[in-house]
Amino acid sequence: MISCSYAIIILMPTNDCTHIRNFSVIAHIDHGKSTICDRILESTHTVEERDMEEQLLDSMDIERERGITIKSNAVRVMYEADDGETYQFNLIDTPGHVDFSYEVSRSLAACEGAVLVVDATQGVEAQTVSNALLAMNANLEIVPAINKIDLPSAEPERVRAEIEEALALPAEDAVCVSGKTGAGIHDLLEAVTVLVPPPAGDADAPLKALIIDSWFDSYRGVIAIVRVFDGRIAAGDTVRLMALGDTFDVEEVGCKRPKQIATADLGVGEVGYVVTGLKDPALIKVGDTITLADRPCASPCEGYREAKPMVFTGLFPIDTEQYENLRDALDKLILNDPAITYTPETSVALGFGFRVGFLGLLHMEVVKERLEREFDLDLIATSPSVDFHVFLSNGEMVEITSPQDMPDVTRIDHIEEPFLKVKVIVPDTYVGAVMDLTVDHHGSFEDMVYLGPKTVEMHWHMPLSELIMDYFDQLKSRTKGYASLDYDLDEYQTSDLVKLDILLAGEAVDALSFIIHRDKAYARGRSLCDKLKEIIPQQLFEVPIQAAVGGRIIARSTVRARRKDVLAKCYGGDISRKRKLLEKQKEGKKRMKAIGSVEVPQEAFMAILKVDD
Amino acid sequence: MTGEYVDPWDGRLHLESAHALYLHVPFCVSKCAYCDFTSYATAEGDARMGAYASALSRLVEEAEAAGLLEGFRTAYVGGGTPSLLGPEVLSHVISTVCAGRGLSELTFEANPESLTDGLLDACVEAGATRVSIGVQSLDDDELSRLGRVHDSARAISALDAALRSGLDVSCDLMCGIPAQTGASWADTLSRVMSMGVRHVSVYPLMVEKGTRLARSVEEGEEVVPDEDEAADRMVEAERVLGEAGLRRYEVASYADAGHACIHNEAYWTGVPYLGLGTSAASMLTAEGYLRARLVCPDLPEPDPSWVRVRLSCTSDVPAVARARGLADLAFDVEGLTSREAAAEDLMLGARMMVGIVPALAYHARATIGGGPVDSTFSHLVSEGLARMTPEGGLEPTERGWLLGNEMYGELWDLAEGTIAHSAR
Repeated sequence: MISCSYAIIILMPTNDCTHIRNFSVIAHIDHGKSTICDRILESTHTVEERDMEEQLLDSMDIERERGITIKSNAVRVMYEADDGETYQFNLIDTPGHVDFSYEVSRSLAACEGAVLVVDATQGVEAQTVSNALLAMNANLEIVPAINKIDLPSAEPERVRAEIEEALALPAEDAVCVSGKTGAGIHDLLEAVTVLVPPPAGDADAPLKALIIDSWFDSYRGVIAIVRVFDGRIAAGDTVRLMALGDTFDVEEVGCKRPKQIATADLGVGEVGYVVTGLKDPALIKVGDTITLADRPCASPCEGYREAKPMVFTGLFPIDTEQYENLRDALDKLILNDPAITYTPETSVALGFGFRVGFLGLLHMEVVKERLEREFDLDLIATSPSVDFHVFLSNGEMVEITSPQDMPDVTRIDHIEEPFLKVKVIVPDTYVGAVMDLTVDHHGSFEDMVYLGPKTVEMHWHMPLSELIMDYFDQLKSRTKGYASLDYDLDEYQTSDLVKLDILLAGEAVDALSFIIHRDKAYARGRSLCDKLKEIIPQQLFEVPIQAAVGGRIIARSTVRARRKDVLAKCYGGDISRKRKLLEKQKEGKKRMKAIGSVEVPQEAFMAILKVDD
Repeated sequence: MTGEYVDPWDGRLHLESAHALYLHVPFCVSKCAYCDFTSYATAEGDARMGAYASALSRLVEEAEAAGLLEGFRTAYVGGGTPSLLGPEVLSHVISTVCAGRGLSELTFEANPESLTDGLLDACVEAGATRVSIGVQSLDDDELSRLGRVHDSARAISALDAALRSGLDVSCDLMCGIPAQTGASWADTLSRVMSMGVRHVSVYPLMVEKGTRLARSVEEGEEVVPDEDEAADRMVEAERVLGEAGLRRYEVASYADAGHACIHNEAYWTGVPYLGLGTSAASMLTAEGYLRARLVCPDLPEPDPSWVRVRLSCTSDVPAVARARGLADLAFDVEGLTSREAAAEDLMLGARMMVGIVPALAYHARATIGGGPVDSTFSHLVSEGLARMTPEGGLEPTERGWLLGNEMYGELWDLAEGTIAHSAR
């Protein structure tokens, strides 16, 4: 696949950093980052034309289907510049969604520069700003690129002005490109060569390499992507992980082009992969530093901020016998995705499962989908929750991430919940719509600034628990997709919160409970009772559905008893056919969860995730 | 041997021949909107039908000679539309079956559009005792939505002719069909009763996947009444037919005293039957199956655990028409252990108004074990689906009638193990 001339070129002297450029491509979601990466691979002949496919760096099915990047990827590209020299580019593709900003920060720590992609038709959006700020804080040289200039609605001049105004970046030299046609890609690569500084580092110092990503390969064990800051790393080295203390012998090092190509070593300033041979995913921690076992560096790398889960949900296997499989799957997934946390959780309704913490709702969806696809599991997710701080009458504080663990109301003094600093960038015609929606989600307005003649940036203060209640979907729909959103965790504040229980046939179903602002409990209870009535099939007896707060019923609906279910037709004595029908009905029941005497389909548990009241 | 109780049910598990014969005629003028049976659209006079019918006659004679029909009492020519064969062809099949055997019942199915005086006379002459007519409704709008060929006037004249012919007449009706109202249903029922029909089958409509009706429902062109409404119709049928003296004796069957269909009762009571023709179903005892293997050596060897074998003929119409004998037919074969057969008999017995008779209950306890059988029975009673009879049997309640699948499913669960399945 990859012709041998490249294999020769990549064997550069390991102590010469001057021809290395490590950079990320950052952008708001859908601004064309992955397409630009595709064009770079193509124009540098890293990938032969016949092997080219869209979103080449996004190897997961789910990334391609959704058109998003979830995992970072580091690929090496050899670029013959106009000055006649050949440069080694290490290009790091990063996720664009706000949930994955930790992935971005991790990748940025390995770079000296960042290409900031801005859509020429959309202009600066919320994550353009936050990603650019992350890059600036990491002291990266920023190369602005205005993308999609082939589109008739492209407004490069307006976007240039927005970049200067919103980001205070000099944008007069911003490169105009089209990821689609490839126009301007050469200029962009030249700009990277000239503007992004080569890595600094001491080739003779002890090895100091930052782990920026890792994954589990079932044949080769844990493979880590590293950036070498000092020294060099080669196969056969005995190395130590500085945070966890374990040592291992390096089995192989190399770079991704984008397939893995083994090299003699990874020298100072280089980015590449290390085959650790380790079988236990838990031993490799992203953000850890690798050094030589017998000649360690003085201090580990800095610049890594550990991700903290913000959204929690219960994940339960539909088939209770899959519990162990779910545990194994989570153990493996966490290697690829160190941002998730999980602890065992037991539900009367759903049996054994896990309380899993995520970075956000998209992250939650993605993880659930990956668990189901990659590990062949069928899962039920319960209503998402945040990390509530519940203060008891005796002054003690307990952290509650599951409604099940909520103490009795009589023991609670007050509850605090995490608030966010929320930034919404939107055309000014939608200010009213955003106001209505956000106030309705308990947001308090702080201020608003014009980024351009028609684009405003609004600042809000709102509870995370409200944001995860489909705020983003509604924001998108109420602004016809124009609004963009970003947020940062702020401090905890007191809120008037209650636990809403759902009772089926008189029994509270723990997996259907959730914590909600008191003033919304009634409307939400009402709409859930109505929705569950549609979802729960008729049973042999009447099933009352009730919503209750603190033992008081606030809404009710009823699933009438089933009156008829009988196969009457004779079929000329074809009894096998009748039996098969009964067996099929039984299979259908198996896919439902029996809660008490009530058969509840999976969709009931999904219903509480979607709000449309 | 004093004091030892003999299992009176066990006898039927060892009958060496079929006691009922079913012949399948898979031809229709056109497929009805709700039908998911294998059927071939054709018109009266089609030569394929003649060849198929002659093959059936040949197969019956061979089965008889092979001892597979020794002492059979009833026969049923079903479809499809047997009346589409026409007087000559249909009466020839019937006379081959009856041929001086003094059967207690021979039923043939007919649709109104092809049920003529000539056909009735020929069939009576040949030995038929009973005709079952696919009337379905006496409302023209309902009939056309079902995709039926006839209208209500044709249905009435067909019923009239059948009643005049002296045959025992049964009328098939459907409830829970598009456009049907409580009033139109009551009207259909009372008009059929006023004509003097003494046997009625009432089938609630099922929307089967892949049918024309299923597509219309999916596309929102047709609305099918919900199950609650269908239940109302079933209850209404029981009331109106009951007032006319017809008693429900099975889930879908109503009859005046002495007019129940003996052949259909064989299906529900573990009596072996032989089915011939495309997609016809047979049930034989293990002993009967051994006899069948003498003439069909390609049938798979039975497992020693089998006490009952269910067969389904998989030969299509041309294959049946060319068959020189039973050995040329292909079958799906399914063997049942004694435990499975007992559970199946319980499941089928619960369809009958008399329910699981004491003899069957005794047999089931002996075969499956008293513990599981009694615990299932009590559970069904506690769910209000059935009640115990003073003699130790179990009969369905009205709730157990309307929610039959729930009860049948629980009874069939007593089989536990899986069904051995093989095909030839």
